Amino acid sequence: MPPADLALLLTALACLGLRLAGVWLAGGLSVDHPAIAWATAVAQATLAAFVTLAILLPPGALAEVPLFARLAGLGVGVTICLAFRRRLLPSLLAGLAAMLVVRALLQGG
Amino acid sequence: MPSSFLPGLKEALGAPGVAMAATFLAFGAAVREAGLSAGWALLACWGIYGMPGQLVLVQAAAAGWAGGVGAVVIGAVAVNARFLPMAVSLAPVLAHGPRGRLLPAVPFIAVTPWAAAMRALPGVERADRLPWFLGFGLTSWIVAGGAALAGFFLAGALGQEARAALLFVNPLYYALLLAADLDRPAPRRAVLCGAAAASLALILPASIALLAAGIVGGTAAFLLGRRRAAG
Repeated sequence: MPPADLALLLTALACLGLRLAGVWLAGGLSVDHPAIAWATAVAQATLAAFVTLAILLPPGALAEVPLFARLAGLGVGVTICLAFRRRLLPSLLAGLAAMLVVRALLQGG
Repeated sequence: MPSSFLPGLKEALGAPGVAMAATFLAFGAAVREAGLSAGWALLACWGIYGMPGQLVLVQAAAAGWAGGVGAVVIGAVAVNARFLPMAVSLAPVLAHGPRGRLLPAVPFIAVTPWAAAMRALPGVERADRLPWFLGFGLTSWIVAGGAALAGFFLAGALGQEARAALLFVNPLYYALLLAADLDRPAPRRAVLCGAAAASLALILPASIALLAAGIVGGTAAFLLGRRRAAG
């Protein structure tokens, strides 16, 4: 099997295993159980860490967007989201537009 | 068809669909550039369904699998390890009847459906929650797969700058999902602790830094919450 197919198969199986294990571990626990609260906190913290790293130390092509443009996009998106009753789509588009404008300004200057 | 399938489907076509389409377009283009096939792109979307892990595989393919397939797979699974706590936290929200009923939902447990479900489902009747989640998850899957194929075939038309902009949509969208939860104390603590724990990336290898930051930050947030509740 070519390495790309083997890697895909193994990763997909492991990811399926993680999801199944999570559902199985949760068992009959209620939403208020401490283990569920802990797992939710870990999931949210992981996501927050992912966003922090993706904005500050991104891998791959995103690294070519200047840091200040990434921060501007994040700042504008989050501000709009908090100011306009958590409407995600306008916030997303505004954040993306801010990043593009700042990137263009930085590269033009 | 239960009535809540359609509301789930519609929800997935808003901001989640736009964010997902942008990210998976960039992924499809990267797959083509790494010399892999369109079928591989589609199977990676549907089989893994977690963008950070998918990107680890594509970057490894582009680098000729230096370091071996085993190490790459471990890295890809580690950056997607959040599936486990997400499944744990989602299962009691979806649960209605025997646990086996949740099996059709399992492949869709990923950031976007999880975040949407945690927001919307507490306001949905328990019996309608699983159909809602399946409507959302299936729609997201189709959008993701279609966007990846489009990205694969449009790769030549997507310049480096366009691709970088598309990749930016992914963390931005996740940040908005977290921001929308900031007015509740428990998620706020988890977000702040997780962001602070991201500094572990300065001392740990990239493959395990995210996993470690999530566990350390999440546990700290959980313990702080318990202390506050006790005090």
